[in-house]
Amino acid sequence: MQINRTGYFLIALFGLLGLAMCIGPALFGANLETSLIVASTGGIFVLVAAGLAWYARHAKGKAAHQDWIFQKGIKGSATILEVGNSHTTVNEMPLVKLKLELDIPGVGRREVSRRELMPVFIANRMDAGLVLPAYANPQDPAEFILVW
Amino acid sequence: MADLDATFSAFAAARGLEPVPALGLGALTPLLVESKHCQVEPAARGRLGGEVDGVVGHLAYTRNKTFRFNVALVEVPASTGFVPRLFCIRNGRRTRDDEFYGFEARHSRLWTESTVLNKRYTVSISPYQDPNWMRQLFSPALVDYLATEPPADFSFELAYGALLGSVEDDDPGADGLLALCEATAHVAERIARECGE
Repeated sequence: MQINRTGYFLIALFGLLGLAMCIGPALFGANLETSLIVASTGGIFVLVAAGLAWYARHAKGKAAHQDWIFQKGIKGSATILEVGNSHTTVNEMPLVKLKLELDIPGVGRREVSRRELMPVFIANRMDAGLVLPAYANPQDPAEFILVW
Repeated sequence: MADLDATFSAFAAARGLEPVPALGLGALTPLLVESKHCQVEPAARGRLGGEVDGVVGHLAYTRNKTFRFNVALVEVPASTGFVPRLFCIRNGRRTRDDEFYGFEARHSRLWTESTVLNKRYTVSISPYQDPNWMRQLFSPALVDYLATEPPADFSFELAYGALLGSVEDDDPGADGLLALCEATAHVAERIARECGE
């Protein structure tokens, strides 16, 4: 997952609006009760913005790590053995459960399970027998990225 | 709608295509997924251009407001191994007006030297692709073609071997459909040739 322009807009919106709600009433001389009510709502907004920002940063760090595995990793393949529906969707994207046979040169074959959040048009293409490229972390071959 | 039916019938007759009242294309590309039912109506199938066969049709769906596209779908099966996903979308195109999400599946924006291409399109690919192969695909000839030849609102999406070219006109007329089919066929042939090399 990666943040997009809408994501940056949401972080800015919640963050700035939340801050304004925290500070504004006191600045404009509202009474204590009103200030507290508005500020507590503003605080929730700021927390939402902070949560989104944390997730975006986490996703960026994960992407950088995956890029490193792609560049330095051991290229192998992953054959889909089974595709399961988790009945969970995030942002209209289904969470797909995959059972894979991972074949990494020098490491060997093994069965692994993986859950991937995929757009619908990609999830529809996941089928038993499909072979996807995979890259294993050279320092920890149990860790791998699946290219889809 | 009657005008559109007439346009497609005339176009199919002129190009020797088989007219089809409606056709379900399946959730093959992001634009088709937006439409939920993935159905084009009216449609025609046959030789779209060059040596490329496919389907051309009218795609309409409502996501708060009604979006209308004319699309041409062809297959480039060999592309899956080289570039599973490649989207070349006209800058400023909108395909929904109801829900917007702040996070999306990871993709890489493709950097090209062509300012004309960058001004006209946003090109993105699935992550972990071979940059050398992408540079060969986006040869100066293809970049020049995309920047100057296709209809002004042309975009294309390549996803797992399915290539969908599209324009945004409500009723592009026979000339507009011809331009759409030829542009889609040209892109399909270029991608297939690069995969063959």
